[in-house]
Amino acid sequence: MATITATPPRTLPGALKHPAARKLLLLALAAAILVPLANARWTSGTWPTALTIDLTQPLTNVSDWIIDNRDSHPLFLYFFGHISNAVVLSVRAVYLTLLTIGWTGVTALGALVAWRVAGVKLALGTAAAFLACGLLGMWVPTMQTLALMVVAVLASVVVGALLGLAAGLSDRMDRALRPVLDTMQVLPAFAYLLPVVLVFGIGVPAAVLATVVYAAPPMARLTALGLRGADKGVLEAVESLGATARQRLLTARVPLARKELLLGLNQTIMMALSMAVIASVIGAGGLGDRVYQALASVDVGAALAAGIPIVLLAVVLDRVTAAAGNGGTEHPRAGWPYALAAALAVAVAGRLLGRTDWPGSWTLNIAEPVNRAVDWMTAHLYSGVPVVGGTADWAGHFTTWVLDPVRDGLQWLPWWSVLLVVAALAWLIGTWRTALTAVLAMAAIGVLGVWEPALDTLSQVLAAVAVTLVLGFATGIAAARSDRFERLLRPVLDVFQTMPQFVYLIPVVALFGVGRAPAVAAAVVYALPAVVRITAQGLRQVDPAAMESARSLGATSGQQLRQVQLPLARPALLLALNQGVVLVLAVVIIGGLVGAGALGYDVVFGLAQGDLATGLVAGAAIVCLGLMLDRVTQPTGRRAKKGA
Amino acid sequence: MSTSVFSVDGLWKVFGPKADRVPADPELAALPAADLRTRTGCTAAVRDVSFDVRKGEVFVVMGLSGSGKSTLVRCLTRLIEPTAGTIAIDGEDVRAMDKARLRELRRHRAAMVFQHFGLLPHRTVLDNVAYGLEIQGVGRAERRAKAAEVVAKVGLEGMEQRRPGQLSGGQQQRVGLARALAVDPEVLLFDEPFSALDPLIRREMQEEVVRLHREEGRTMVFITHDLSEALKLGDRIALMRDGRIVQLGTPEEIVGSPADDYVREFVRDVPREQVMTVRTAMRPASADEADSGPAVVPGATVSEAIEAVARTGGPVRVMDGSRCVGIVDHTGLLDVVAGVAAEADMAAVAAGSDAAAAGSRAAGAARVGDGGAPARARSSVGEAPRQRGGAVQPAGTNAETV
Repeated sequence: MATITATPPRTLPGALKHPAARKLLLLALAAAILVPLANARWTSGTWPTALTIDLTQPLTNVSDWIIDNRDSHPLFLYFFGHISNAVVLSVRAVYLTLLTIGWTGVTALGALVAWRVAGVKLALGTAAAFLACGLLGMWVPTMQTLALMVVAVLASVVVGALLGLAAGLSDRMDRALRPVLDTMQVLPAFAYLLPVVLVFGIGVPAAVLATVVYAAPPMARLTALGLRGADKGVLEAVESLGATARQRLLTARVPLARKELLLGLNQTIMMALSMAVIASVIGAGGLGDRVYQALASVDVGAALAAGIPIVLLAVVLDRVTAAAGNGGTEHPRAGWPYALAAALAVAVAGRLLGRTDWPGSWTLNIAEPVNRAVDWMTAHLYSGVPVVGGTADWAGHFTTWVLDPVRDGLQWLPWWSVLLVVAALAWLIGTWRTALTAVLAMAAIGVLGVWEPALDTLSQVLAAVAVTLVLGFATGIAAARSDRFERLLRPVLDVFQTMPQFVYLIPVVALFGVGRAPAVAAAVVYALPAVVRITAQGLRQVDPAAMESARSLGATSGQQLRQVQLPLARPALLLALNQGVVLVLAVVIIGGLVGAGALGYDVVFGLAQGDLATGLVAGAAIVCLGLMLDRVTQPTGRRAKKGA
Repeated sequence: MSTSVFSVDGLWKVFGPKADRVPADPELAALPAADLRTRTGCTAAVRDVSFDVRKGEVFVVMGLSGSGKSTLVRCLTRLIEPTAGTIAIDGEDVRAMDKARLRELRRHRAAMVFQHFGLLPHRTVLDNVAYGLEIQGVGRAERRAKAAEVVAKVGLEGMEQRRPGQLSGGQQQRVGLARALAVDPEVLLFDEPFSALDPLIRREMQEEVVRLHREEGRTMVFITHDLSEALKLGDRIALMRDGRIVQLGTPEEIVGSPADDYVREFVRDVPREQVMTVRTAMRPASADEADSGPAVVPGATVSEAIEAVARTGGPVRVMDGSRCVGIVDHTGLLDVVAGVAAEADMAAVAAGSDAAAAGSRAAGAARVGDGGAPARARSSVGEAPRQRGGAVQPAGTNAETV
């Protein structure tokens, strides 16, 4: 009951008053009946053991059975085995092709494709990026990652486009797929790792399939969206001319959805890169693996040497595919043959000169100087800097003053009160449906028996979200009010939004060492750009007429902000909160790799020790946590907006 | 029947759950729109509509928004599936057609021009115009040649390689028109094609349609909410309200003898002398008048006759070939302009004369139909409250509920 009396003062003020009060009253009533019952039957501290189901044994059995039968059971021989072989073969084929073309050929090909699609500037950027990868001594890992990406992206696009086509053309498919895709979109990447490992074992096939599962949903969603969003008037006109269903699809719907399709491709590529890097945990080689290994031994220099190519790859891929989506239709196609011929010529020339491998003498070893710099930082900035303290001090203080109290507080709360708070928040922001899903998801975590680590993760998420929102709203408001600030900010946000989650761990480890505070810092940095952007956009899109009338009444700019802009931008702010929570969770989980513990660590531990049961339970808990956090912060209007 | 292209009989389109029962049940069928909605949850967009479209005519369906006219025209080629009734094109039952036959109808016999153009933004003008032929499977060279020809016909030479996004609204609608013409259909269906255009462009496009009709004599079904457009283009006009046709007739019949108060209210501000012909204004000739003096043809509008009368200062003969069918003079013409001939209602007389006087001033500057819109706007602000408060009120509320 304590929580019920605690929540109203926080949520009651404002426009919500009446419906909010009614919802809380109902909830209080339900709690008054149910809580004494629960208290009488079970304990009231942490999640009661009577209510947990131990899945370790059955999961271990399943895992053992799969390991025993992987080479003999027909399901594996004739289905998964073929998939696995096909993946290995195609990745290997692409990899060998890339190596055969040689660094000159790959660079030339990349640059020329970028030139045809996006113009000269990006072509130069692409070439520079490839050369930088070589220069850092990362040519071979880059090609490994690229080979994995090519296969994964092709598969994702095919799967996603087919699903999207089905959902775009059939209402029933759309209704069935939409909630699944929506949910997949909010789940942290780590949740996908365990199930594929269970079936395929650690290795390239598992990595590729996890990437496909993670990267296909945006393609499917955007394909469906594009097909559904086609101008009704055009479709009617096409029908009035007597087009068959096939003609309508090929000559009207698909071309009209071009923009969404290319945006889907762009998002799929970015998601695939992000996952291909994370999948190093389950056996994807390449750049991600280098970062992973380096982080495991806290070798920041080596991590950076592998991290920079990832960032370059991400930026180049994003810009080129985004440029393809934003136009470029006017380019004549005539340039393509020349471009391909030129690339081929360069590749052949490189081969004739015997320069297919990146020359060893041309590499630049940045690991050493970077590590020296980090050592210097460790020595001078970590602690004891007069007045401000050091980065390690900050991390320590953050941990003891913020993270620990929040975690202990959450874990001290009676389990039913946590459920009640979840229900109250979700119901106030969303509908009773979202509240129900959120409560069930939270309860499922308890049933799985990972209540404590889940609350640990939750405490990190809450701390990170709080910091993100304070910084994000402040920056967003500033960006919305000053054009110059926004112009300065835009390129920074662009770069930050394209970087894979994994990369953010490198600088925070350099600054703060390992532990929970660095994970929170990485999460904040990762989620901040989206929050800033959505906030600024929401504030800028406030009806100018309302602003004008406020100005004409003599409102100060502070009054305009408080009384007009913020209330009118409420949906955008809620969306920012939702996005912030989802993004923060994704990185906090990955933080398990750098000592953040909790659920993310369970997954890593499960993978490292071959204890798939622990990992799977933690993965399921991550899914539940993601579902719960998304539903709690899901504004009522989101469904309707997406449906439109 | 032999000369009618479309023949529509007892057509119904009802939206909503179990729509079939509404036309079938005479009690439901008779309900007003609001009652029908509360009783069944259905909306009847088209109610028991019957008409024939004759070969070579411009048949205008006119009504306010929500009157069901756009639904009606879509029912003709089953872009919207009708609920009940029969539609025949050249005697062939459209509702009985299977998919292939229906496609054939859409491809070759009836082409449509849309209010919002419905052009494909990723194709050039030429490829948009050729699109209908492409759908039919016509080869690339042939369809492009045909499209180029039609593009020239609608006055878009030199813009073949542009994309719709680079054209003005009027030009886009020319592309829409060209696309419909390119398939050489038997009937052209226009769904409020010029509503989204500026007034000047609209007039230009109307003249384009008049010209095309004069040159090719193609049958046209034209949907509009603009009375002046209907009067200008239509050989016959069907005036719709709440899904029903309240009056069907020539422009002169609609303006000269409105079927009910709704139609009367609608045509109140039409400059009558621009629509009515001298047939309405003439009286039988006496023996001495029939032989000499200036003459006009029977199809001449009253305003042309006024000019002739004003110039000569005396009565004018109406000559059908070499036969004198009647005489028009000041009195007869003024009666028409004032609306006295057709209407006994004193209020209408007062309003009519006022409108006519203003209308003829407007007609001095602009031609038929163009005065319509400003005339209506003027009456709604100044004249209506002053003179016809009582009569306007019901019509006004009707217009809102429509």
